[in-house]
Amino acid sequence: MDKVLREEEISHLVEELISRYQVFGPKRKGSDHVFDEIRSSDELDLSYVTTILPPKKFLLPQREKILSFGPGATPEEPKPPRKQLIFGIHSCDLNAILILDKVFLDKYPLPSYAERRKNLVTVALTCTEVDRACFCSSMGTGPSPDQGYDLLLTRLGGRYLAEAGSPEGEEILNLVEGEEAEPKDYEAKHRLIEEVRGKFRKRVDTEGLPEVIGESLQHGIWDELGEICLACAQCVMSCPTCYCFDVRDRLELNLKEGFRFKEWDSCLLLEFAEVALGGNFRGSRAARIRQFIGHNLGWGGGCQYEALDGMFKCVGCGRCIRVCPVHIDLTDAAARLRGEIVAKSV
Amino acid sequence: MQNPYRPIPARIDRIVRVRRDVKTYTLSLLNAEDEAFQPVEPGQFIMISVPGLGEAAFSVSSWNSEGRVFDTTIRRVGRLTSYLDGLSEGDEVGVRGPYGRGWPLKESEGKDILLIAGGIGLAPLKPVISYIAHNRERYGLLEILYGARTPDELIFMDEYDAWRRIKDTILRLTVDMVPKGVIWDYNVGLVPILIEDVEVRPEGSEVMVCGPEVMMHFVVKALTSRGFSEDQIYLSLERRMKCGIGQCGHCQIGSKYVCRDGPVFSYAEIMGLPDVNI
Repeated sequence: MDKVLREEEISHLVEELISRYQVFGPKRKGSDHVFDEIRSSDELDLSYVTTILPPKKFLLPQREKILSFGPGATPEEPKPPRKQLIFGIHSCDLNAILILDKVFLDKYPLPSYAERRKNLVTVALTCTEVDRACFCSSMGTGPSPDQGYDLLLTRLGGRYLAEAGSPEGEEILNLVEGEEAEPKDYEAKHRLIEEVRGKFRKRVDTEGLPEVIGESLQHGIWDELGEICLACAQCVMSCPTCYCFDVRDRLELNLKEGFRFKEWDSCLLLEFAEVALGGNFRGSRAARIRQFIGHNLGWGGGCQYEALDGMFKCVGCGRCIRVCPVHIDLTDAAARLRGEIVAKSV
Repeated sequence: MQNPYRPIPARIDRIVRVRRDVKTYTLSLLNAEDEAFQPVEPGQFIMISVPGLGEAAFSVSSWNSEGRVFDTTIRRVGRLTSYLDGLSEGDEVGVRGPYGRGWPLKESEGKDILLIAGGIGLAPLKPVISYIAHNRERYGLLEILYGARTPDELIFMDEYDAWRRIKDTILRLTVDMVPKGVIWDYNVGLVPILIEDVEVRPEGSEVMVCGPEVMMHFVVKALTSRGFSEDQIYLSLERRMKCGIGQCGHCQIGSKYVCRDGPVFSYAEIMGLPDVNI
């Protein structure tokens, strides 16, 4: 049964959740927000718009052991002590997790990912504010999710509509008092979503976009972006769906034991497409920025995994736009590839 | 849940020096019954792993019906391959795979086969030759075009006579240049010049190509101008695979993953993809 919760019930709910799960949520850090462990409900700041890093860090740690070797080899990853719960995850980031699931669960499940995913509970939060770089609305991934959450909260004035999306979400809802949701509450939610949709300043026309990009591989925009791109890889590091990684070994001083680990990697880095004898299939920055934008808006979603069913890899969170030191904006790039004239970005 | 990154122990049964910096290693699984390792098909690749040094993808250079004892021919170029170069028969390494999609042998039955290789690119095509020799009646003419920079850089020279003795088989060789004092009775020039004389006709044939991408570029040009269509030319692509299972992203070219959808592709499948220079 969906409920309507008063503002103070949310704090109560968070305290209850902290006693049952390891809870992560948006916390203020300087002028930004980060997903961090929440030990008390007042640490949580649900008025956030976005976080520096997306929550993929909970499922794909920056560095992760995939294999141990040597006489004293230990199991790869200890299990998390308790189930983990992300409180207040926005729709873009939640949809990003659904894309990561396709990569790491579908054909060759990665045991560490599968374990963490099984133990992850999500309490999603409909966005009421939109940042200058957000464009989830055009990617069909926001401002409110329609799947993938255990519980969905939507703030309606001083009250929250709380909708369960799974049996675990139902159980969570049973932890708090609240009135039964009525048709007018769902209507209010839909009105709110429409109102938020009106606030987006960035958009991407996704109609036939994979084909447009596929036919634009020789477009002058790539050289132009390659000229200004610093290949710093911040876009990739802050992307909620960029999953590429490098694999390396580390040997202990005794030279007998060690481990193999995977670590976040980026197609923007020169070494990424290197092969033997110094060959490099993406030696130019133009080719590398084309790979990043192409993967996100072109070949990444449309056809990379049949199971993605036409979803794009990009979820429109806007982080890559916010962090780019030279203001490369993939929404502008997409528009220019269609032949639209784009005013200088913010 | 099985860790897809766990290598399976394998023993080096035999090491044969192919060239100054190239050796063929015959590997067998320590536990021959290990079900994590499926029989190898020609054109597929395996990951070879040395704890502490890492892992890399190598093509398989032999074919036998068991597919669980196999050769891999490796050129010494980096840290891992230099380490392998120093190993002896009886030493152990880790393997996983085999991965990817190999040469279209089943689809090619009843057809003439044209194999075109450059340099060490002959290694992934060698199992095709053994496979056809073993199933000779199922294929038409077999024509092999092979080139390297110098006569010294040709690989598998000991095998050429045996290949020529396979029924209805032609072997044509070329080198880019012949150093002074070296005797060379075959062609001189880049691999595509051999295409001028091929006997295999486009009708009812398949072409399988492996070599440097720049060579494959000119080979494809020469083939298409002779009337071979994009979907009867198969190419094996090189990328540095880190995972082999479509997760790490290193071998992505447009919508394809070389490790999962390749390494063998028809030219039709990869035409127009980004970062392929063929």
